[in-house]
Amino acid sequence: MKLNHLLSSNWQYNLKKLAKIMKISVLLSVIMTFSSFAHNNIYSQDKISVNVKNTEIRNILDNIESSTELRFFYDNDIYDFKKKISLSLKEVTISKAISLIFENKIEFRLKENVVILEKSQLIEKDNVVDIKQEDIEQRIITGIITDDNENPLPGATIIEVGTSNGTTSDFDGNFSISLENEDASLQISFIGFETQTIAVGNSNNISVQLTIDGSSLDEIVVIGYGSQKKSDLTGAVGSIKESQIIERPVATINQALAGKIAGVQVNAANGRPGGKSKVRVRGISSINSGNDPLYVVDGVQLPQGPTTFGLSNTAIDYINPSDIVSIEVLKDASSTAIYGARGANGVILVTTKKGKSGESRVTYNSEFFVSEYGPNATPKRLNSEQFQMIEQLAYDNIAKFDPTGWASGNYANQEPSKKRAGAFLGDLVNELFDSSGKAKYDTDWYNELRQRRMSQNHQIGFSGGDDKKTFNASIGLRDERGLLINSYMKRYSTRFNFENQVNSWLKVGGTVDFSVRQENNQDTGPWVFESATHAFPFLPVQYATGNSPFFPPWFLNYASNLEYGFGTGAGGNFMYNPVMDLNYRKFMTDSHNFTGSFFTNINISKDLELRTSVSSNILNQGRKIFYPQFFNGGNNGAIQSNARNVFYSIENYLTYSKEIDDNNSITALLGASWQQTDLTWFQGDGYGTPSDGYGPNNLGAASFKNSSSSMSREALNSFFTRINYNLKDKYFFTFTARADGSSKFGKANKWAFFPSAAAAWRLSKEDFLSNSDVISNLKLRASYGQTGNSSIPAYASEAQLGPGSLLGGSNIPGYTAGFGSASAGGTGLLTLENTGLRWEIMTQFDIGLELGLLNDRLNIEMDYYNRETTDMLLNAPVPESTGFSVIRQNIGSMVNKGFELSLNSINIDRPDFTWNSTFNISMNTNEVLSLASPSDIFDVASPQFLGGGSIIRIGEAIGSMYGFTRLGVWGTNEAEEAAKYNYRGGKTVLPGDIKYKDLNGDYVIDNSDRSIIGNGYADAYGTFTNYFKYKSFDLTLDVQYSIGNDLADLGLHWGENSIGGTNLYTTVLNAWTPDNQNTMIPQVRNASAGSVSLFDSHMVKDASFLRGNNLMLGYTFKSESIQRLNLNKLRLYVSAQNFFLLMDKDIMSDPQVDVANWNVAGGNVASQGFKWHEYPKSSTFVIGLQVGI
Amino acid sequence: MKYFKIKGINRILSISLLFLVNLGCSDFLDEENQSSLNPDSFYKSNVHAESALNAVYATTRFMGGNAGGNSSNWHLLEAVTGQSKNNSSSNQDLNSLSSLSYDSNIAHVKNIWAGTYKLVANANMVIEKVPGIYMPENRKKQILGEAYFLRAWAYFNAVRIWGDIPLITSPLGTGSEDFYAARTSQSEVYNQIVSDLKFSESSGLPFTDQTGRVSMAAVKSLLAKVYITMAGNPLNKTEYYVDAATKAKEVIDGSGADLFDTYGEIHEESNENKVEHIFGIQYAPNVESNPMAYSFLPPVNITKGGATGWQTNVPESNFYNSFEDGDLRKVNRKGWFFTDYFLGGSGALTDLGGPYVYKHFNVANYGSDVVEGKGTGDFLNFSIIRFAEVLLIFAEASNEISGPNADSLNAVKRIRDRAGLTMPSSLSKESFQKLIWKERWHELCYEQITWFDMVRLRKVFDSSSGDFNNFVGHTNLDSNQSLQEKHLLFPIPALELVNNPNLTQNPGYN
Repeated sequence: MKLNHLLSSNWQYNLKKLAKIMKISVLLSVIMTFSSFAHNNIYSQDKISVNVKNTEIRNILDNIESSTELRFFYDNDIYDFKKKISLSLKEVTISKAISLIFENKIEFRLKENVVILEKSQLIEKDNVVDIKQEDIEQRIITGIITDDNENPLPGATIIEVGTSNGTTSDFDGNFSISLENEDASLQISFIGFETQTIAVGNSNNISVQLTIDGSSLDEIVVIGYGSQKKSDLTGAVGSIKESQIIERPVATINQALAGKIAGVQVNAANGRPGGKSKVRVRGISSINSGNDPLYVVDGVQLPQGPTTFGLSNTAIDYINPSDIVSIEVLKDASSTAIYGARGANGVILVTTKKGKSGESRVTYNSEFFVSEYGPNATPKRLNSEQFQMIEQLAYDNIAKFDPTGWASGNYANQEPSKKRAGAFLGDLVNELFDSSGKAKYDTDWYNELRQRRMSQNHQIGFSGGDDKKTFNASIGLRDERGLLINSYMKRYSTRFNFENQVNSWLKVGGTVDFSVRQENNQDTGPWVFESATHAFPFLPVQYATGNSPFFPPWFLNYASNLEYGFGTGAGGNFMYNPVMDLNYRKFMTDSHNFTGSFFTNINISKDLELRTSVSSNILNQGRKIFYPQFFNGGNNGAIQSNARNVFYSIENYLTYSKEIDDNNSITALLGASWQQTDLTWFQGDGYGTPSDGYGPNNLGAASFKNSSSSMSREALNSFFTRINYNLKDKYFFTFTARADGSSKFGKANKWAFFPSAAAAWRLSKEDFLSNSDVISNLKLRASYGQTGNSSIPAYASEAQLGPGSLLGGSNIPGYTAGFGSASAGGTGLLTLENTGLRWEIMTQFDIGLELGLLNDRLNIEMDYYNRETTDMLLNAPVPESTGFSVIRQNIGSMVNKGFELSLNSINIDRPDFTWNSTFNISMNTNEVLSLASPSDIFDVASPQFLGGGSIIRIGEAIGSMYGFTRLGVWGTNEAEEAAKYNYRGGKTVLPGDIKYKDLNGDYVIDNSDRSIIGNGYADAYGTFTNYFKYKSFDLTLDVQYSIGNDLADLGLHWGENSIGGTNLYTTVLNAWTPDNQNTMIPQVRNASAGSVSLFDSHMVKDASFLRGNNLMLGYTFKSESIQRLNLNKLRLYVSAQNFFLLMDKDIMSDPQVDVANWNVAGGNVASQGFKWHEYPKSSTFVIGLQVGI
Repeated sequence: MKYFKIKGINRILSISLLFLVNLGCSDFLDEENQSSLNPDSFYKSNVHAESALNAVYATTRFMGGNAGGNSSNWHLLEAVTGQSKNNSSSNQDLNSLSSLSYDSNIAHVKNIWAGTYKLVANANMVIEKVPGIYMPENRKKQILGEAYFLRAWAYFNAVRIWGDIPLITSPLGTGSEDFYAARTSQSEVYNQIVSDLKFSESSGLPFTDQTGRVSMAAVKSLLAKVYITMAGNPLNKTEYYVDAATKAKEVIDGSGADLFDTYGEIHEESNENKVEHIFGIQYAPNVESNPMAYSFLPPVNITKGGATGWQTNVPESNFYNSFEDGDLRKVNRKGWFFTDYFLGGSGALTDLGGPYVYKHFNVANYGSDVVEGKGTGDFLNFSIIRFAEVLLIFAEASNEISGPNADSLNAVKRIRDRAGLTMPSSLSKESFQKLIWKERWHELCYEQITWFDMVRLRKVFDSSSGDFNNFVGHTNLDSNQSLQEKHLLFPIPALELVNNPNLTQNPGYN
């Protein structure tokens, strides 16, 4: 009798695994359903006895049939049923009986009272040997295979290592195997779980617990308010697991995400320890309101957007990545719609470690690392000899570029020898220069900024539990020392969670997470890096022979550009030394982050469950800023401030899960949520304390004092529902709807409704593909829906009066009046009322394909999406004759279209050598469809000193760079043509001057000659990761790439033009000369003799790059060798991060930039790719240890 | 299975309770902004009135605001005069002003427009709301008088820069008729300015005020300035010379306003709002430092704290040389210029390589050979009306009415006396007119006055010939570019035209 799929037990099993592994109580009732099913299947529990001698197997089976209700179905070809055996079994399960009868060489399945015998895949018929009497006497090992929740795993494969001897576990996870060898080891494997090898030793009974293997297709992914098997998903969800997170030891979750998921772009702005990274899911969806994704940690939504003192850090940055087991990124409308108002920019779901029943574990991870400037991290600058050569040339060329001024002697003092003899230096001139004027020092200022300190990271975890209660606790310490002197980030974190199944219908649990993060930020302004770039190389950090006569004694012996004739201080016109700055200036932030949540799960019936969760996130940040006297010409400044961000939420939701029959199942969700955020902020400033000794700690001693404060509240109320319907395991449907009310909008527009729908079709489950040898998984899915964005400041719809926004670089509100030497606070107009303000809506269409080939050895997932944002919340311009420049309005739309592809491949899979590859690529294009007024919005990212930079224009992409086009440098044969132009401040344009493209042909180079010259967002980006394992060694190679992003290197402005006052980039060595006319760099001349520097195409570079993100080599000790130490895991690894960088040679330093928050480039969506001096990126070398007990 | 049984009604109850508890808060989504104020809840007391007025005063500082790299908004009125050079070429908007090739996109035009109307909007709030406040009547009247003055000052600048402009005199909402305001004719704007200033004149302000508030002297001086402008181009209502002379005379005859004896006293921090300083933009510690200083400073480290200049306002050499021999205003470190100074503020005397503007140099902050500078920031006010200008307005208006007389000759003599110059012996109406004009150029240079004189008189001082050229066709010597008819008005900001369909552009800028 031939029998095919009478029943596939897979779906039951997977549901069971799903529920138990994830402990998502939504599905608790499913477990119960299944359990009851299992119990009803009495035959699996029935015990039978067999006592035969030399009897044919077919007769034995007949005997069993006659004494029980069991019926056997089998194909006579699969085994020699006429074989005679002898067997004596008493009160064993049918499974065990069959295993012994067939020597584990037959697989079987049990449905009701039917036993289906099938040919084992493990052993070919040819290998079946006649059984002998003595075989029975062989050593038989029995055992049970369970998952980590002690649920039996049927169908697991057990192989005696080094032999072809093997078996599979039965329905209850039991197995028995006759060993061929003494000292045998068993290898136990099961799809979706990590393979384990166990030495049998002397025991005759072994229980093996398998743990989930993260890379499997059958994995469970967390979705909003629930979880699903990946194969059942209808939406686009990217996911990374613990094993990928620990690959790269980083400080924040955002850094861990970098490059791991298609469609998720992480831009690290700079190399500050624990530094900010900006995460964008599928591009920029909004011009004016927030673009940050929503983070949900174990179901608790975190506040969105930068924290008050975060320097762009968001709440997620305060959570220790070592506590994470998985991160899921919801990308399309179907998956994000359940978060409605907060889901417009994607949702990042973070799941932290939980305890496991019956298992107490202690883990300890430890890392030590050192950092070095990364490849190309610092700009290339002239050395002393080169500088002096350029300095002389620049002086000599004045005669050409300002003949009048030269003739009237205006530049006499700028002759280098006179500058050296200037009175600022006094006798120090002899320390700096020899008698011929040659420099004695050659200082590499970036070298001097660097500290060489060891950083470390430690994490201890405890977990355990019994069948009712589980807990997980961890404590972490990270002490990260940055590249720069006194730059550090220390984090002390603890996390504790517990769950308790109180009784049959009630489960409670909670989490407490507390972390303290202390940092000294050395990148709060560009000064340090700007001045390290531009400090004269011939100056020492500190004079050996004393203080300059120019500076008072409190400047110690530090050197500054200002001491040299016509030298200008970088970062403002004050005396300044970057090393001194790092040594004495303070910018310390102390953040205390508390997250607490408590939930109850109530099983109302076996299908219906209610979950209630109450959670809170409290971020308390204190900041101390201190500018010593030298920073502002003898007047010190101290600022202390405190911000408290209190977020809390209450959520209730009902989940109904029902297996209607074998073909239909449904999960429905209905819930409500209330969220509120309260923010208070206070700041006190003091300037001019009598001594730097007070530091930032005694504002009372200051001669000028000022204080300010604010508070705000925002609230969100939502009702949501979702229905997941599964038809025949082939067709999946999801409908989601959410109604959101936000306090931020006008009374009539507080509420909005966001629906979505999605469907998926698993073609591989259809008859025409189910037998395919090649295609193991094929799924098509599509979704369409809406989400909303309300990430605008609170009170935006109201008319407001107040003291005005703070004046640049101060804590003084703009409406403060001065009367004599006194100041008087003012109250003036801030915003105009707009009662019609309403939600920004994003409508997204997504179509995806998931393909698994060759038994899922190659997995491909691709998505195409189209996201259109309408009713954009824009600070839209109004006539300024109203007294306002902008009003927050719902005008404008844009679209993001993109394609994402991920490939996962198991290239080689041998017992002692495996090679896996992961590749992903994301492409996104953006186009502005409409704006408030059809006119361009200029210079939102304006480089302050260059009068232009970016543009938002209909039909173009956000991030467009807007400027002049540099054609080159006027040649000697073009003197006549050059002279027709007028752009050198009235002086004649000469050969050696920059040649701009004159778009309108009017011989004037002005604003109308600007055009789009670049875009800061990449055309494509992604990573390529290879993972090799050879015996106990593993090797990870992770490279990251970005194609087609442009970099606007504003540093070139001073780097190539500030000639005379500061050090320069080495590119000026290639400046125009009559002998070197084919260059972009104008002829060197003293800046005051008329040099033109405009934001132009020369400053825009192709910043495509290929970066070696991580190279890690690990060694995992064999379990038998560490058992003696009572350990179950011991792994050592070394890793190098950011270890190579390929890019255009033209770029002066690292091409990957986000936007500096410094006023230089506005810091908004349009300023992506604008680079101004910043904290250099580092290469990090790590040695780490992972221990498990 | 026990799971099939519902464990009593208590579970159902607990569910309903959880939903209800939250639903009970019906005001959950209501907003109440506690750190900003709301126009309906504010303007209730004298404290509110003063605070609202302070915001108007604060807004006057827009003239010094940043206009891109190395430039402040007021460069709009300086770079086009031809009497200063721009030696830094990094700000293309400023370059285009210097070379008279500017268009409607330049930051200076946009910022002054925005600043003007921000001031007007805040002044309109005071003017609308303060009358309803219960508070001492005399102070209420003064507050209104100050607000009317400040609004008049803003409109007076704007009407001279752009000609016809939107005239908005009451607070706006998104639905207001004036939200997209069209241009009002210049004469109507002037009428409003005069009416505002007349209100101020009757509001009981003290004659002088040393804290920097609007004083009666300031009101009358500004009125005189407005009248003499109305008498000139483009309105040419010459009858206003009488009013100009009258108002100027009231200031001259009043007590408290006078010339300082030396030019150094003019830019001494301790003399702010005193004697010669009738009204100015106020800078103070804990408020804002004067951002304009950098454009005047030389590129040499001659200041305590090391501030060096942008070189965007360097004296044009012909203009520098056009001062008569012996004119103290040209004498190094005595008048308006310096050609050497002390390193680091108080060190060795060093040559600057040419003349730089000394008129706004804050000695107390930067230091000198006798005083070590404070180095804490330049908080020197920026003068809007000096008594010297009032004297010259009086002389000019009076001469236009009836030719030279003792009073008008004496007014000019006071200016020339201080410069160490004598008065020419005999003066016709015409030669006196030229003399007054020339004094205006030399006395009031680098104070945002000269450009408006050029437009009002349609004459430009030719510093190479010493005579006056017609505005149209005059060549600015710093850039070698000639003034055209269109330059009499600046362009309306391009963005404003886009955002307000009711506006039109000035001729020559389309």
